[in-house]
Amino acid sequence: MEQPDPLRNAPLQGILWQLLDILASLKFTLLIIVALAAGVIVAYTSKTQATWALVVPLAACAVNLAATVMTNPVFRRQTPLLIFHLALIAIVLLVAIGRLTYLKGQLELAEGEVFDGQLTQEESGPWHPRKLSELQFSNEGFTVSYAKGMRRGDTRNQVAWTDTEGRVHREVIGDQDALILAGYRFYTSFNKGYAPAFIWQPNSGGSPMLGTVHLPAYPLHEYKQSLEWTPPGSRMPLWIMLQFDEVILDPERPSEFRLPSQHRIIVREGEVRHELKSGESVRLADGVLVYDGLHSWMGYTVFYDFTLPWLLAAGMLAVLSLALHFWKKFSVRPWDKD
Amino acid sequence: MTLELELQTLWAALVFYVLAGTVAIFGVVLQRKPERTVLGLLLAGLALQTLSIAFRWDRLGHGPYITMYEILLSNIWSLLTVYVIAYWRIPQIRATAAVVMPILFVMMGWLLMTSPNAGHLPATYHTVWLFIHIGFGKIFLGTVLVAVGISGIILLRQSRYGAGRFTRMPNDDRLDELSFRFMAIGLIFDTLMLIAGAIWAQDAWGRYWNWDPLETWAFLTWLFVAFSLHARFTYKTTPRTGALMVLGVFVLAFLTFFGVPFISPSPHKGAV
Repeated sequence: MEQPDPLRNAPLQGILWQLLDILASLKFTLLIIVALAAGVIVAYTSKTQATWALVVPLAACAVNLAATVMTNPVFRRQTPLLIFHLALIAIVLLVAIGRLTYLKGQLELAEGEVFDGQLTQEESGPWHPRKLSELQFSNEGFTVSYAKGMRRGDTRNQVAWTDTEGRVHREVIGDQDALILAGYRFYTSFNKGYAPAFIWQPNSGGSPMLGTVHLPAYPLHEYKQSLEWTPPGSRMPLWIMLQFDEVILDPERPSEFRLPSQHRIIVREGEVRHELKSGESVRLADGVLVYDGLHSWMGYTVFYDFTLPWLLAAGMLAVLSLALHFWKKFSVRPWDKD
Repeated sequence: MTLELELQTLWAALVFYVLAGTVAIFGVVLQRKPERTVLGLLLAGLALQTLSIAFRWDRLGHGPYITMYEILLSNIWSLLTVYVIAYWRIPQIRATAAVVMPILFVMMGWLLMTSPNAGHLPATYHTVWLFIHIGFGKIFLGTVLVAVGISGIILLRQSRYGAGRFTRMPNDDRLDELSFRFMAIGLIFDTLMLIAGAIWAQDAWGRYWNWDPLETWAFLTWLFVAFSLHARFTYKTTPRTGALMVLGVFVLAFLTFFGVPFISPSPHKGAV
């Protein structure tokens, strides 16, 4: 028989306990589950950001779970059930912390280029500790195989980075394998393409600048290998196009992404058209443009969420404690007896 | 191994399954207990289907988890495996074969109308987490199927036709309790499926959750399972209500497993 809880009888705490009882009610739990399901549907179908639809029921869920753990005497007798509910609270809190501190972004690196902390796109939580600029790694080239029908196969990208003691590390990443630096996880993406490298010598003087122009992704934009680009310090935009005749990815047989063996670069300044091969240069209105050669570029996604291992641990703890709870519950009566 | 041999073996398996289901249904209609025959036919069917899957795996170099045909093929196998284990270990629920087999007949008919041609194995599928994720999912659906069989008996008993036909089975309260047990196991494996899927998604696509169609519906299914179990404690539901909730979970899970691929050309759209 259930023993009365002495704390519940304390006069000053009566109202608090009543409130906790309401918050801990199983009917409230059901309501939260329904609200969460509705929130998922709203967030999924909404064309605008609808984070609130998930945050509100999840916050209510945390309150409900905490109130249940505090008030329900069943948890004093059933430890696995207590652990399960505590793990659920931990999961909700960790997801919240994760959303406040996460970072998701994209970047592109040409072969030989070093990552300098700049992302082309990013979204992050308000409390994200910005440590990206402290990281460095370089893209040392990649291969991407294609099956017949131009279906993408394995991506293997060699990257190099230097640790705090100055040791250089090399690693092949791609598909399932990320490069993990200071909690940031760098993944290769399906985005990749060609990157002509130029040396730009401005008329205004100063030292020549070497850089790459990342043409649209290949083979996604196979027939649009052109881009408008303005050299640094120039006011005159240039139109750059890569031209080659050979078939790189043959739909009829297995193939591999590679640089074309012969190609030319078309540079158009206004109505004037120039054709360049590797090592050739052209004098333009604001300087001299030297075509240094063709490289490839790889698109990466970067993800940071320090709660990931804790989330996994809490999830596993929740599921194991629930399994143990059911095990104990079901072992009292055999399955095959009436 | 050829596609022809693979399909012939599959057809032979389906014949055994259809025989098992037919014998089980007649057993209920004629008030007989052909349990050993049904178990034998199911085991023979499973052995042949295992062989058919092995032929396909050997021929294509990957498991049955890419095309709709393969998803149906492997799920019929896993659902039957889980069901046969329950059938063998819990004799009191054997009459549920008359409910479970017609559901599987629908899947088998669908399988036969689907092209058995090979699909492309994406690079992100070369991971052990794929097997773990899929394996947990199959156990989840299998346990829900057993609960559906039990729930079907509870509901049939309340009809005029079924009232006197399942007298050898335990009473509704006991069946309801057994159904709850299978749903509880289902919740465990559904949760494990989501965790394993999140690990795979993190490795493969750089995010553990992205609300793609399958992730969204899988989470809604998980919520519905949690709701149905919680509602039992909250409202002390009757066996009939419990049975209806189990059917609801199964319908939602079935749509998630086999309906979302109609919305999305790949199991996880845009993520291959």
